Amino acid sequence: MSTIMPSARQRSLRIWAFWAVPALLLLLPLATNAYTQFIVNGMLISVLVTLGFTLVIGNLGQLAFANTAFFGIGAYASAMLTAKFGLPWIVTIPLAGALGALGGFLASAAALRGIRSYYLAIITLAFGELMRWAYLHTKPLTGGTDGLPLPREVVFGISLSDDTLKFYIFLGVTVVLVKATLNLMRSRFGRSVMAVRENEVATASLAIPTARVILVTFIWSGFVVGCAGALFARHVGHVFPESFGMLHLIASFAMVLVGGLGSVLGAVLGAVLLTALPEYLRAFPGMEELFFGLIVAAVLVAMPMGLASLLRRLSPIFVERYYREES
Amino acid sequence: MLMQLTLGGLAQGAIYALIALSLTVVYRSTTVVNFGHGDFVMAGAFLSYVLVVLAGIAFLPAAALAMIAMFVLGVLFSKGLIRPTWGGPHIGLALMCISAGYVLRGIARMVWGREVLPMPPVFDMEPIFIGDLVITGDAVFIIGTVMVLLILFFGLLALTDLGKMVQAVYQSARGARLIGLNVERFNDFSWGIGAALGALGGILVAPVSLLHPDLGASFLIKGFAAMTLGGFGSLGGAVLGGILLGLAEQYSGAYLDSALIEITAYVIIVLVLFIRPQGLFGRKAVVKV
Repeated sequence: MSTIMPSARQRSLRIWAFWAVPALLLLLPLATNAYTQFIVNGMLISVLVTLGFTLVIGNLGQLAFANTAFFGIGAYASAMLTAKFGLPWIVTIPLAGALGALGGFLASAAALRGIRSYYLAIITLAFGELMRWAYLHTKPLTGGTDGLPLPREVVFGISLSDDTLKFYIFLGVTVVLVKATLNLMRSRFGRSVMAVRENEVATASLAIPTARVILVTFIWSGFVVGCAGALFARHVGHVFPESFGMLHLIASFAMVLVGGLGSVLGAVLGAVLLTALPEYLRAFPGMEELFFGLIVAAVLVAMPMGLASLLRRLSPIFVERYYREES
Repeated sequence: MLMQLTLGGLAQGAIYALIALSLTVVYRSTTVVNFGHGDFVMAGAFLSYVLVVLAGIAFLPAAALAMIAMFVLGVLFSKGLIRPTWGGPHIGLALMCISAGYVLRGIARMVWGREVLPMPPVFDMEPIFIGDLVITGDAVFIIGTVMVLLILFFGLLALTDLGKMVQAVYQSARGARLIGLNVERFNDFSWGIGAALGALGGILVAPVSLLHPDLGASFLIKGFAAMTLGGFGSLGGAVLGGILLGLAEQYSGAYLDSALIEITAYVIIVLVLFIRPQGLFGRKAVVKV
């Protein structure tokens, strides 16, 4: 199916819309109370987690399970650096991102050896489980099952436990990383990522080092999700191993799929739609697994390319360039 | 000491072998790796618990019933959810398996909450003592069942017409279709067999371990480790890989550090894929581009 590309006017409209959304969001704290603000902050974190995930499974087309591990690495890195080394939390955000990126490198290093598809998926699965084992068995560093609390901090005379202040910081980080990712995907590199998904041999014949493309995608994904982990550590104020378990993984899958594989817009939509719901389901054991499992199955059968594909059909303004319309 | 560890390793390894074999059965016929298989194992264990403890049925008929139920579930899963996913994105099949696993896990947790359930011992056989070696009824039962099953499985595969058909589909689904085999129905059947064999793994561990809805995750990794070690897609390799993994866990736990038991499988996966990606008996696993 050929996709109608947005016209020049629609493209400039889209650029305005991109900056209008965060600009309007600046006013949001006027309309929220403490609880809804907390939920909105969680949504911003989910946007980054979903963005990092969709890059790997949507754009690159490699099944991977290490996303939750990158998130955990970022959160623990931030918590450790603030609690044990006394760094200000803000400074730990890029450091957590860097460690997440290192995780991305380690999880995908096997790609250099020619490992792909299911094998790579299994390595990332093992990597994720290994990280969870590490949180539990390195008690002096991570606090084991007791978790690791973040110290209180004051910035510009406002306590960092204030959700409104956190909102502005989270929003800034999210906008920067979303914009950076959009630009990256529009670059020569981003196009080679999608080319690898479509046909690796053909891509390699264009002198594109495909293994390196896979590695760099994982590293950038790890960076974005690692930063999200640092935000999460401050968001909840206390990092526990359970936060980075199986439930987080299926929730990420659901957000990616509901929004639409490989779509940045979809990542935002999926994350916003699916962050608040679990708050209500948490009271009933098993409901979260059941809910996310059913959502993923339903989307796969009824709408495999997610909400973004509906929007693309609605107007070319939502078409992300060089995105393959139907599988 | 060494003998005792070997016996324990063989019993654990027999379970891993069964799980790896059931994953391979599905993978070879449908080329789908069931990332929700751990939860099929868990479902088997829970079904047998329900039938034995709550419904009061004896263990053997309960185990048979649980396997039949899981066979039906596997067939329905293939017909209802896997077939409609074929046309979609390549990654969809794996995601469908994951979501099915989570649905099973959610149901288990809804019914049991966050409790951990012990199953009453099934075989109250007096342990046999040979020198320092203690042979428990459970170990005998697990190893015996798996051995009988493996002989049956590989015997059917090698000697019967059905086995020849299975091998034909494994070799080429397209070729099998050309000579008139109903490959779609065969795939449904494979999902059923895979689910039932995986469930048997769960049924066998149920009496010797504590049951909780998350127990599937570690069995999935161990199944993958066994498959990777033996060679992804090789039926015999899956069995051998499972047994070697069981032994490796016991030895590393006893001679190095007991915390290592949990991560032996991960270490094996990573080492094998880096050093010899095709495993012991597998075919080419690496892309050269």
